[in-house]
Amino acid sequence: MSEYMQGGALASDDLDFSASSDRGRASEHASTAVKSPALNVAIGVSAVVMVVGLVLWFMQLSGGMVQTAMRNLDSWGLYITGFMFFVGLSAGGLIISSVPKALGIRGFGGISKVAVFSSIACTVVAIGLVVVDMGQPFRVWELFVYSNLGSPLMWDIIVLSTYLILSCVYLWAQIQAERGKVSAVALRVISVIALVTAVLVHSVTAWIFSLQQGHEMWHTALLAPWFVSSALVCGTALVMAVVIGLRRAGYLNVEQDNIVRLAKLLGAFVLVDLYFFGCDLLTEGFPGGAGAEVVAMLTQGPLAPYFWFEIIGCVACAVICLTPALRRNGLLVTASLLAIAGIFCKRVQLLVGGFQITNLADMAPAVNSMSITYADGTLADAYANLVYWPTPLEAGVTLGVVALGFLVFFLGLKFLPLRPSEK
Amino acid sequence: MTRYGMVIDTKKCIGCHVCAMACKTENNLPNDVWWNRIFTDNGGEMGFDMVGGSYPDNLQFGYIPVACQHCENPACVKVCPVGATYKDPETGVVRQDYDKCIGCRMCMSACPYNGVRSFNWEEPVFHMDYAMGSKDAPEHQQHVVEKCTFCYHRTSQGIEPACMHLCVGRARFWGDLDDPTSEVSRLLAERSHKRLLEDRGTEPSTYYLV
Repeated sequence: MSEYMQGGALASDDLDFSASSDRGRASEHASTAVKSPALNVAIGVSAVVMVVGLVLWFMQLSGGMVQTAMRNLDSWGLYITGFMFFVGLSAGGLIISSVPKALGIRGFGGISKVAVFSSIACTVVAIGLVVVDMGQPFRVWELFVYSNLGSPLMWDIIVLSTYLILSCVYLWAQIQAERGKVSAVALRVISVIALVTAVLVHSVTAWIFSLQQGHEMWHTALLAPWFVSSALVCGTALVMAVVIGLRRAGYLNVEQDNIVRLAKLLGAFVLVDLYFFGCDLLTEGFPGGAGAEVVAMLTQGPLAPYFWFEIIGCVACAVICLTPALRRNGLLVTASLLAIAGIFCKRVQLLVGGFQITNLADMAPAVNSMSITYADGTLADAYANLVYWPTPLEAGVTLGVVALGFLVFFLGLKFLPLRPSEK
Repeated sequence: MTRYGMVIDTKKCIGCHVCAMACKTENNLPNDVWWNRIFTDNGGEMGFDMVGGSYPDNLQFGYIPVACQHCENPACVKVCPVGATYKDPETGVVRQDYDKCIGCRMCMSACPYNGVRSFNWEEPVFHMDYAMGSKDAPEHQQHVVEKCTFCYHRTSQGIEPACMHLCVGRARFWGDLDDPTSEVSRLLAERSHKRLLEDRGTEPSTYYLV
């Protein structure tokens, strides 16, 4: 810590001086825009997909959200699933980058700026997905004029925008610190604030769901810590996959030792997440009744494929990450992708599962095309399968928003000095 | 303080759906939008309007009309980020401001009484070429959440809600739950009654006489 405070390594991402010569080499042309044909193609493709998504979004607004698969009894769908997922994904970068700085411990070898930037891109996607989910996006100004500060959604909007701004400030501070314009103390203070906001943003996102007494599956105090752990899993996995990918592409140079430490961390996070899942299933299922219904739905009901993919994927990820012999780059990337896909499956289970079980189930209502996606048969038919499966339009809009995130990320790679550049 | 409530006598309800129809007409509801729905109380295994249970001794059949329960402690009001859904201070009725609603559907998800709120997933389409019902009922908009208003345009004038007005079995009663002399208060004092999902703590103002 004392070293951290003393001039020399002020700007470094961590206290690992041994590799500074390598990084120095990488930084020779860090300040100029990256000239890579592949990157230009990636930017072009993301931009095109984003524009297609934008067109589909206008179609959704003009033709009505009846073109999505959301209905009165399953009123949120892929957009909000994606929102939860990307809020989680954004965590890793910021936490990986800020924990070492905040606590004054060894970091992960110069990946800090890329990690924070991946966070920013994911936050942009998360916010975008909320916007496309809104029925009246042009009334968004009301959020600031008529704010109901008691609404968890309002808390989320406040914390999420703070988070986005803070991530940008944090990135800027790191770049300025490298140029010697921001002091180490200031950077450290910003890291601490960023860390607190990161934990808060996941908790508040969980509270949107867990504070609703209307859904047995969501209404649990465990949800907020569980969101933090899931966020750490997929966030760390994302950073690891991105860093290995960028190293392969020759964008930055990171020693294997740092990757291994990330892998160990990922393995530990995955185990914590599975542990929380186990606790939750036991608590819900043990008393029987409505909770047992939730457990049955997950393990053998319509959501079983998502459940088992998550469990098996996460266990496989933990095995790869925690077995030294298996920590090869290809396998580590596979493990990361399994963890990310597993957490996405978890989000699907949570969101679709929340609507899959109705409260007034002992009475049969008349259903129609506005109550539920599959209203052709009886309500029992509709609930025998998944109540919700996205339409192509929804998938296209979601893809467009995700492409916006990729676009932001690729533009950042091209124009911002994100490479490790400590001398 | 006034707190409007509704008492529905399930012994008198014959499941004719006229209250649902009255609501639909009075409020000029778009196609496939029903604020007031009649549930078949049959254990949920069988479909709508069908007998539940097992033949011959354990058959179960009855009707429960379900609309917004106008809760004393409404889950929807707490979560609305812009206050588009709010509790009317004069009457305790949970109201919805269509012009303010941003269409986030947080209230739909928060309400434990699945499906009493409906979102206009498309630009409202009507069976009739002309508007039906009361001219004072608010107009429908695409992409906002709406629900039973307790016929606010009628009850604020002292007229009973449309569903009660046309109820064939005279199973519905409306009045001030805080006034011990009102008809609803007397019925609740005399008869045994239940409310839906009382364990959720929402304190609904709709009572069912059993």
